Amino acid sequence: MTQAPNIGEVVMHHTADAYAIGIDPFFSISWHRWPDVHLGPLTVNLTPTKHVIFLIIAAVLVFLTMWIAGRKLERQRAGERAPRGFANAIEAMVLFVRDDIAIANIGHGGEKFAPYIMALFFFILYSNLLGLVPHGSTPTGNVAVTGALAITAFLTIEISGFRALGPRGYLRTIFPRAPGLSGAGALAMSIAMGPIEILGKFVKPFALAVRLFGNMTAGHFVILSLFGLIFLFGHLEVWNWGIGFVTAGLVLGIMLLELFVAFLQAYVFALLTSVFIGLMQHEH
Amino acid sequence: MTSQLLYLIAAAQEEHAAGPASPFEVNFGLFFWTWFVFVALFFALKWFAWPAILRATEERERKIKAQLEDAERMNTEARAALEEHKKLLAGAKGEAHAILNEAKAVAQKEREALLARARQEQDQVLERAKREIGAERERAVRELRREAVDLSLAAASKLVEERLDDDANRRLVTEYLSTLGKGR
Repeated sequence: MTQAPNIGEVVMHHTADAYAIGIDPFFSISWHRWPDVHLGPLTVNLTPTKHVIFLIIAAVLVFLTMWIAGRKLERQRAGERAPRGFANAIEAMVLFVRDDIAIANIGHGGEKFAPYIMALFFFILYSNLLGLVPHGSTPTGNVAVTGALAITAFLTIEISGFRALGPRGYLRTIFPRAPGLSGAGALAMSIAMGPIEILGKFVKPFALAVRLFGNMTAGHFVILSLFGLIFLFGHLEVWNWGIGFVTAGLVLGIMLLELFVAFLQAYVFALLTSVFIGLMQHEH
Repeated sequence: MTSQLLYLIAAAQEEHAAGPASPFEVNFGLFFWTWFVFVALFFALKWFAWPAILRATEERERKIKAQLEDAERMNTEARAALEEHKKLLAGAKGEAHAILNEAKAVAQKEREALLARARQEQDQVLERAKREIGAERERAVRELRREAVDLSLAAASKLVEERLDDDANRRLVTEYLSTLGKGR
């Protein structure tokens, strides 16, 4: 019997990004880091990583799903046939995201933002689900990816809010009117609220990014830690089969939960983005 | 077996030691990759996928919206028409009322006029009757007077003709007068 690996290290390695991709241990492609790029004070490394590959895979899969569903729907409509099957299921999901997440929460004028929310939802959903595929990896389990998505949400919320409210209205979202106060009191209160409101603007997308990243990473931690039970207790001669089955059962349960969480977190991200856009649009 | 696999994994990962050691390391390069991929996906979906999927729904929405607007407009029109009809009806009612009132007034006036005329005629008839009666009486009195005068004259002439004495004359006249009283 060989020595058990360091479970903690395996967990970290498995959930971490890498400059390699493959179906371990059968084949693996790895590549070298590109040199760093200096963007002003920021030093970034634009080498595509494993998560970048899976991001692209997710995007391609989303596009193919939607493109094929759209073509099928058009053909069904042209043939005056009743909608059915895969295309209809996708249509139902897209419509759910459009009507019940985007338009319902953004409110009046939500159609404008629907393409963004729909792209966001399905992109996150597919990214989440890719982590559940054997040998897959979860791009949304990378805080840089969720951060970048949250920044798109932040920009959408603030820019659309600025365009809807105008400069004066937008300033009001930072220095709000103090209800029930007048004169110097109201002015002092407004100015005092300024830093809090500005902080609030940044906290919202930050929470979006951390929530998605945390949920996606935590599931993998739990699954891999449960697998670790095998290595911790598998050497007990009589119990090893039992340990194996119990662990597999637990992992199966967590996997099902993860499947649910993948949908839930995509929903939450899209929903909250819609709610924040709606809040800004209708801030009067 | 499993542990061997995991060992191989660990060995494979050690080859790429350049990669981050945990998911908590932030690689800023990924921001740009995520934006690039997401924006590309956004436009690809916007141009090639959403229109096909949403066409039917959007058409339905447009149709429903148009129908709602139509319904709204029709409702407004109907309400306006109803209002107008109500106004017309109220006007007609008022008019009818006025006509009725006028008719009543006219009838009342007519009746009063008729009554007045009747009363006047009655008065006239009465007056005439009174006048005729008066005239008739006067005539009768006149006649009577004339008769009396004639008779007196006749009596006087007789008296004169007969040349009777005073006593005889007085008796004669008295007799005559008594006959007159009977004669009447």
